[in-house]
Amino acid sequence: MRRALVVTLAALAFPGVASAHATLRSTTPAFGHEIGHGPAHIVLTFDQAVRVLPGALKVLNGVGTQFALPARSEGRSVVAPVAPLKRGAYTVRWRAISADSHVVSGVWTFGVGIPAPAVGEAYGAGGPTVAEHVVRWLWFLGLALAIGSLGFRVICLRGASVPRALDRKLVVASGLGVVVTLQAGITAFSLRAEDALQLPFGDFLYGDLSPMAATRFGRAFVVMTLGFALVLALLYLSWLLDRTDLLVPAFALSVLFAGGLSWSGHDALDPGSSWKTAVADWVHIAAASVWIGGLATMVGLLWYGAPELRRVAFANFSRLATLLIALVLGAGTYLSIVRLPHLSDLWTQGYGRVLLVKLGLVCFALLWGTFHHFVVRPALERADAGFLARLGRSLAGESLVGIAVLLAAAVLVDSKPPSRDSQQSPQGAAAATLRP
Amino acid sequence: MLPHAEMVHWAFAAGILLVGLCLLCEAIVGQEVWRMRPWRKYLWPGLAFGMGVLLWPVMAFFTNSSIHMYAHGSWAEVLMLAGGAELGLVHGRLKSRAWRLTWPLAFAVTGLAFIVHEQNPWFFARSAFLHHLLGWTFLLGALVPLALVWRPRSATLQACMALTIVAVSVMLFADRDVAAVFGHLSPLAGPAHR
Repeated sequence: MRRALVVTLAALAFPGVASAHATLRSTTPAFGHEIGHGPAHIVLTFDQAVRVLPGALKVLNGVGTQFALPARSEGRSVVAPVAPLKRGAYTVRWRAISADSHVVSGVWTFGVGIPAPAVGEAYGAGGPTVAEHVVRWLWFLGLALAIGSLGFRVICLRGASVPRALDRKLVVASGLGVVVTLQAGITAFSLRAEDALQLPFGDFLYGDLSPMAATRFGRAFVVMTLGFALVLALLYLSWLLDRTDLLVPAFALSVLFAGGLSWSGHDALDPGSSWKTAVADWVHIAAASVWIGGLATMVGLLWYGAPELRRVAFANFSRLATLLIALVLGAGTYLSIVRLPHLSDLWTQGYGRVLLVKLGLVCFALLWGTFHHFVVRPALERADAGFLARLGRSLAGESLVGIAVLLAAAVLVDSKPPSRDSQQSPQGAAAATLRP
Repeated sequence: MLPHAEMVHWAFAAGILLVGLCLLCEAIVGQEVWRMRPWRKYLWPGLAFGMGVLLWPVMAFFTNSSIHMYAHGSWAEVLMLAGGAELGLVHGRLKSRAWRLTWPLAFAVTGLAFIVHEQNPWFFARSAFLHHLLGWTFLLGALVPLALVWRPRSATLQACMALTIVAVSVMLFADRDVAAVFGHLSPLAGPAHR
């Protein structure tokens, strides 16, 4: 029985070896490729036989002119002749009935003589909407709750005699944060794909999201989903087996996979993007999540749930917050210098204005935190119950400012920084060409 | 050579079959005998929870249609929830039998996801037929775990639950082939390619 269980679990562990449904295997031109001359044909090759719907394959330029002629199916391929294409960026939109009986749709981009734009910049795609900002905010909140509550338990309450009830609440809070992170990730990915595919909702449900999954945003979505599913399993096992030591790998993994949020932000067109900016973004988001999430956890769960731990928790969190704020400020300053080539961009560009709002909120939160660190902490030893109750309300206020910072960060991450005239990437030029 | 498109369904069908067989054994010999070895009580709930975790890679990697992504995601969540609740109950971390309501919920969500994500009518092809059949089996089968919440010692209900799960695994083993059902195959289903 045990052997059968091991064999079954091993078989389930490698689903990537096979595809369960009709999949687009390759295209000519390939996804996101730059080609020297316009292709004579567009070819889509699937893993099973397909049929094309009339007029269901379109090749569109930056102003929406259609160049594809009627397509035909050839076994597992769909072939469409194409009128001569000039230099520029093009979007291919297609629909087909797959052999497994579903109508599937999709989109991809290629460039003739110029680099192809990201699929999120396909013709007709409008860029991030208010709904995407809200979803990304929820994504940030979920991440902050997950990482913050885990970090608070693992770092600030290390060695303390934590009541069992509080331990359970902390695990439930971090589990809730992970679930929100997973759900917000799926919703954000769907919204981005819906924008790129530009399909009615009914057709979108059968839309092929593979090109989106191949983008930086899509890869971040896949990595974060898998990572946080693992974190959820660890949290559950920690709760089931009463093993607080499992929270340490859960915290480490959640901090590691928080990098997906910065990786999925902006897009590949960011001027000055490099591995250094990616690392700085990750440090910025991870440190801010531990800071804001930890603060909210301290107020929401510990302050009134375990009053005997208030002093030690506040003192430990205050020390930790000093380090976290240094990391947030250091990484944030570096990223602002890289992404805003001119100081005037702060008030002349949309990205700069959002950054100004965020900076203002961060300064407000920092002043509040500084007051707690330098004024409240020394007075804590001789504080009475009334003082501690008022401090709880003050900490709740600081947490709310932190949540507002996350909202500004969500809008900022979805926005595109201004281009440097001297450093404008060819992709940026292509995207500009492609916009309707 | 095994057809590629069946591998994931077959792997999970094997897992579901194992769950069903464990439940059937428990129903036949009784809970006391089944739990004489302490690890056995964790077997099928642990397997269900593990399958829920392993459905996340399926959700994340198979993005060739939105609806399948959502279906796989919902199955991952309800399997983790129901398997996790059952583990909590057998381990003693959870006390209220109301947690067993997670099983009818899982059945209902799974059934709805099967029916909603099937675009074609029953007799389009074998795959469509089995998708509908799976969906309705789960939806109607949800009544069995629902009844078990109030009659947990009923051997008849336990056997019904086990047989429902075994039947589902058999359907999943037979699913997804481009083949005729009762002699009918829609021309839109495309030629058989295996």
